[in-house]
Amino acid sequence: MIAAILRAQWLSMRSFRMGPGRRAAIFSILTAALWYGFWTALACGAEQFTSSPAASATMPAALAIGLLLIFLYWQFAPIISASLGASLDLKKLLVYPVPHRKLFVIEVLLRLTTCAEMLLVLAGSVAGLIRNPVYGGIAGIPRLVTPFLFFILFNLLLSAGIRNLLERLLSHKRLREIIMLVVVIGAALPRLVLVSHSRVAALQRFVKDAPGGFWPWSATVRFALGHEVFLSGLILIGWTAAAFAFGRHQFERSLRYDAQATAGPKRNDRTHSRLEPFYRLPSLFLPDPAAAIVEKELRSLSRTPRFRLVFIMGFSFGMIVWLPITFGTRLGARGSLVAEHYLTIVSVYALTLLGQVSYLNTFGFDRSAAQIYFLAPVSMAKSLVSKNVAVVLWIAVEMLAVTLASFVLRIRLAPASIAEAFVVTAIVAVYLLAMGNLSSVHFPRALNPERVSQGGAASRMQALIFVFYPIALLPVFLAFWAREVFQSQVFFSAILAFAAVLGAVVYWIAMDSAVHTVVERRETILMELSRSEGPVATE
Amino acid sequence: MTGPLAIEVENLRKVYGSKAAVDGLSLTVPCGSFFGFLGPNGAGKSTTIRMLTGLIPPTSGSIRLLGMPLAGQELEIKRHIGLVPDESLLFDRLTGAEFLEFVGRMYGLARPVARERAGELLNLFELAGQPRQLIAEYSKGMRKRIAMAASLIHRPQLFLMDEPFEGVDAVGARLMKDILLDQVRQGATIFLTSHVLEVVERLCDRVAIIHEGRIVREGAMQELRTGSETLEDVFVRVVGAEREFQKLEWL
Repeated sequence: MIAAILRAQWLSMRSFRMGPGRRAAIFSILTAALWYGFWTALACGAEQFTSSPAASATMPAALAIGLLLIFLYWQFAPIISASLGASLDLKKLLVYPVPHRKLFVIEVLLRLTTCAEMLLVLAGSVAGLIRNPVYGGIAGIPRLVTPFLFFILFNLLLSAGIRNLLERLLSHKRLREIIMLVVVIGAALPRLVLVSHSRVAALQRFVKDAPGGFWPWSATVRFALGHEVFLSGLILIGWTAAAFAFGRHQFERSLRYDAQATAGPKRNDRTHSRLEPFYRLPSLFLPDPAAAIVEKELRSLSRTPRFRLVFIMGFSFGMIVWLPITFGTRLGARGSLVAEHYLTIVSVYALTLLGQVSYLNTFGFDRSAAQIYFLAPVSMAKSLVSKNVAVVLWIAVEMLAVTLASFVLRIRLAPASIAEAFVVTAIVAVYLLAMGNLSSVHFPRALNPERVSQGGAASRMQALIFVFYPIALLPVFLAFWAREVFQSQVFFSAILAFAAVLGAVVYWIAMDSAVHTVVERRETILMELSRSEGPVATE
Repeated sequence: MTGPLAIEVENLRKVYGSKAAVDGLSLTVPCGSFFGFLGPNGAGKSTTIRMLTGLIPPTSGSIRLLGMPLAGQELEIKRHIGLVPDESLLFDRLTGAEFLEFVGRMYGLARPVARERAGELLNLFELAGQPRQLIAEYSKGMRKRIAMAASLIHRPQLFLMDEPFEGVDAVGARLMKDILLDQVRQGATIFLTSHVLEVVERLCDRVAIIHEGRIVREGAMQELRTGSETLEDVFVRVVGAEREFQKLEWL
């Protein structure tokens, strides 16, 4: 049964992941190589460190901290990036007579999709330990490998449980964004506390003195390095058993869960949304059909849980992440280069976050309904520009939210820096929208608006972000660099103006290319947007 | 055949790899007719409709709609077409009223007009009960009804409909049939595919049967049937369906 499910999934994903054309397949391979190449390099670094006899003194602490970071990444990176990974589509599978324990095994194995990169790093670390003569060499393999296998199993089981718990919580309408936000901020809190409040020594001890504790990462290290093997083994088994109980319990609850029954009664006492004036805004300055498309985008995106979450993350999580990096312990402190440009940094970060749920895959949430843009008597250029205008409006709202949040946090912002943030973000947006139009027609992909997080791990989109975002940021980065080097506002403004003009040209060329591609590939685009998934929901 | 033609297709082909989904299809549909386009699953009906709407380009052949070539006057033709496709054309995150208003404006209606017509269509199709209900929360029948309403809002001259009655309850289907017949009386042309042959028999004045990408029978309804034959009898005879299941002893 497990084999049948996995085969059905493979057959469903075969063409979905690779895309129908050779070009898309090559791109998929290149992006995967880029992503996993980075983690392989990191794994090699870990191997170099753990294989060095000279590092023996610092090994217990360093390894424990490393494993703690792996644990945090494994459990929280999928949440922070709103990408919970592939999971079983229980609606499709529950009709078949498959024992629950078998479904649970697949569910646990699927957790590998979110953190395959962590396995690479762990493999590098273990390989280094085996090569290190201090820890017994080849003869020590059973002692070195066993705790790491338990550590992996513990993480898989725990993440399966967390995933199922979150999926259920997130199915509660309106509550889901709040829950996700709390989780995300909770995940960032230790870092925030560590960086911004040096007096919290307890938390630092938690990390630094980890080998002495009973945590799974420290028990793994103690077992592997031969310290109190029996006790550490018991601790590891205990943690793994607890993770199994938690994961299985959550999975069983998900199997019995009826999202519709818990949704509660609908409120239909109002005929119009409170945001109606905002939705109607485009009609004030745009003619139809452009205004109609912009309005439709504003309405549907604001009601899409996944978009809402990312939008909220832009001005909340974004600020929390950048706050300690920028100001350290003193909010509103001045002096550092990053602190001077806090608002710009957070705004550009929010802009990049919005990419995956808006401009990089502009037809994603429309899915098969994207046909309407091909059927209606409206040119594709007009449709794309209108969709871009909608994104620009969202970006403007996002920036206003960031600015307001900055005032609430009493961060000192000069009027000039606010204006600068808006101008810089607008220029970056032009480049990103140009790239987004191209990626939307070359790599369209149906997105499920109901799922708060995306399912895939290292996908094309992530690689696109790694490759193209730096290119999009380069012109404005050059402007800032010139201002620092030449200490000249005129130089800065001139380069920024040039970047804006260049951006307009890039946007125009990209639009022309995207429209040509739409005409040539309309069949493929519509096919990709109409595609449904296999027994495992990867999107 | 005399009089203006709503659809004029000549030697249309659509090839996927080595397989021709539509293979040399030639067809004329006069203006003001209710035309049934029938065929077994995979015969090429949906592919033909998708080519007529410009969603997919034909491999070869020509298409003229409402007297205009599709290749050169696509935007102008689209203004006069109403489509009910087999696949969802609905934006799930809009309410029914918002969706209808959006479609109206896409077809060039002024916003107040689109809004007014949207309200009237919602009432007509009995979808006005819960104004803030999103299309995502609609049942299958409601989705078909809103799709039908959307195809009417700009008062098209030509309707292309792929299985419009699928999943619709008896009351909804009756309403849809009455509206379509009324549209034909007012001069519109309807090109419809359906597997419910009784419905086609009752509504359509002309029928074409497509099988393996080719037209195997075409003509007025009375010409196709002989004696007491029903359309279903004609259809089964023409496409050569056999009862293979009797060969499966275990079943």
